[in-house]
Amino acid sequence: MFERLVNIICNYVEAEPENIRPESRFMEDLGFTSFDFMSMLGEIEDEFDIEVEQTEAVNIRTVQEAVDYLEKLASDN
Amino acid sequence: MLCSTVREILTNTEKNYGPEDAIRYKKGKNEIESKTYTQLKEDSESFSCILRDLGEQGHHIAVIGMTSYEWLVTYFGTVNSGSVIVPLDVNLPAEDVCDLISRSDSTILVYDDVRKDVAAIAKERCPQLKYMISMQQAEHDEHALSFRKALEEHRGAFDFLPAPDQLCTIMFTSGTTGKSKGVMLTHRNVAENATCLDMKIPARTVVMTVLPIHHAYCLSMDILKGISLASIICINDSLMRVAKNIKLFKPEMILMVPLMIETMAKKLEEASLLPAKLVKSQVFGKQFHTICSGGAYLDPAYIDLFSKYDITIQQGYGMTECAPVISATQKWNIRKEAVGQLLPNCEAKTVDGELWVKGSSVMQGYYKMPEETAETLEDGWLKTGDLGYVDDEGFVYLTGRKKNLIITKNGENVSPEELENALSTNRLVGEVLVRENNGVIEAEIYPDQDYVKKKKIKDTREKLQEVIDEYNRTAAPQKKIYSLIVRDTEFEKTTTRKIKRF
Repeated sequence: MFERLVNIICNYVEAEPENIRPESRFMEDLGFTSFDFMSMLGEIEDEFDIEVEQTEAVNIRTVQEAVDYLEKLASDN
Repeated sequence: MLCSTVREILTNTEKNYGPEDAIRYKKGKNEIESKTYTQLKEDSESFSCILRDLGEQGHHIAVIGMTSYEWLVTYFGTVNSGSVIVPLDVNLPAEDVCDLISRSDSTILVYDDVRKDVAAIAKERCPQLKYMISMQQAEHDEHALSFRKALEEHRGAFDFLPAPDQLCTIMFTSGTTGKSKGVMLTHRNVAENATCLDMKIPARTVVMTVLPIHHAYCLSMDILKGISLASIICINDSLMRVAKNIKLFKPEMILMVPLMIETMAKKLEEASLLPAKLVKSQVFGKQFHTICSGGAYLDPAYIDLFSKYDITIQQGYGMTECAPVISATQKWNIRKEAVGQLLPNCEAKTVDGELWVKGSSVMQGYYKMPEETAETLEDGWLKTGDLGYVDDEGFVYLTGRKKNLIITKNGENVSPEELENALSTNRLVGEVLVRENNGVIEAEIYPDQDYVKKKKIKDTREKLQEVIDEYNRTAAPQKKIYSLIVRDTEFEKTTTRKIKRF
């Protein structure tokens, strides 16, 4: 899950995959704008075939939190 | 064709395009459902019947929700019955929403279930509220009426002609400073704003609406202008899915704010090694040709970038107090440094550097705020609060916000936006705010994280100081920046994506 997410992140910001860590924060460390982040969630929906709940997703700050959220969604499916 | 009431806009188009699609939206993941112009007219007339039968015709009706067919039916059903619509920001905290419901004297709240939390506390907090209507609930219960059921129960035609100078809406400004104010707009204010300019957009153009529906720019340009031109209006269900929905609905035009344009620009640049035609067709689709930009300052460099992909960016300028468009760019007459030409229903003058406008779209005042109204309106002129001027051909140029103006110790005026725009041209500067602090001009900067990583910049502060030094080298003495704060987080923004100044 983490690796797949890192690949998607790299489509939005020019970060090197090896520099993306679980504790990296999307906006502060990786340089996402809020609209970048929303757009990425849309791409994640397609990639993982899940439906992201916008109201829950806005609380995600770090890569690890995103991984946890996606794993929870995947296991609910 | 110039229309002076919102009702005229809908009925004129319905007469000519009744059975054609007006609104398209997603049902489930990838299915599209649509409503015709006749359905929109009939459903909104049934909504007017609900208001009449509840004894609420002519009253103020608050609505909160994401953009949806139900939201639009509520809007047209309310204003076409001579009632006053109060569109509320779906992202506001419940307490603030209740405050606006009370301050606008609304007697009905129509809500999308995403804001059930508002409905739950509004009954207690807003004693003047008589009814709640849920857009999704299937049956009536003790808390709320069901929108769908009420529509069926009160189905019928509704023949009422609102007067052009009748109050149509109270729209709350999201303001970057201070308490939000309820802008009172008549049918004429709103309808003429949407219809007075012929942009030569053909009928049946497919547009996709992505901005928040309570926003005056979205309502006027996407919805009212769209309907007046018999467009097919596609509803984007979430900001998460703009890219996906572009592929689904295949729009030709989209109204955006600069923040969105910046993200789209990244998508285009990411694939800049591929042929421009191919990139455009993958990101936007072959049919796509125009982005209208408004709501905030757009760096003119984006206009050039998008034109490489055969996409025109047409900048506009306005404010809720002017229903909202003041100037717009025509496709065949683009001036990158201007924010378009004055609308035909608008005249302008500059008073002490500030742009004042007059015309049929200027608001009636702020609801129950006589002092603020008197500060903003003078003999029919609206003081925009923006510094700027209009040239002989009606092109509008903006140089900053009056209220943000920095008055230096020797009495010279400095517009922080001018300095912010100058600094923003450096790639390292992601977001910037300029202000006065203890007598010196200070810049607070959030560095562009992408750029920092790409260039492997170690000492961001030092590099930013170099940017400032470089700027200071040529800046006028009163415009030199002597203090720098480097942020490690984005600035807090309003729901329309403007940086909050205070």
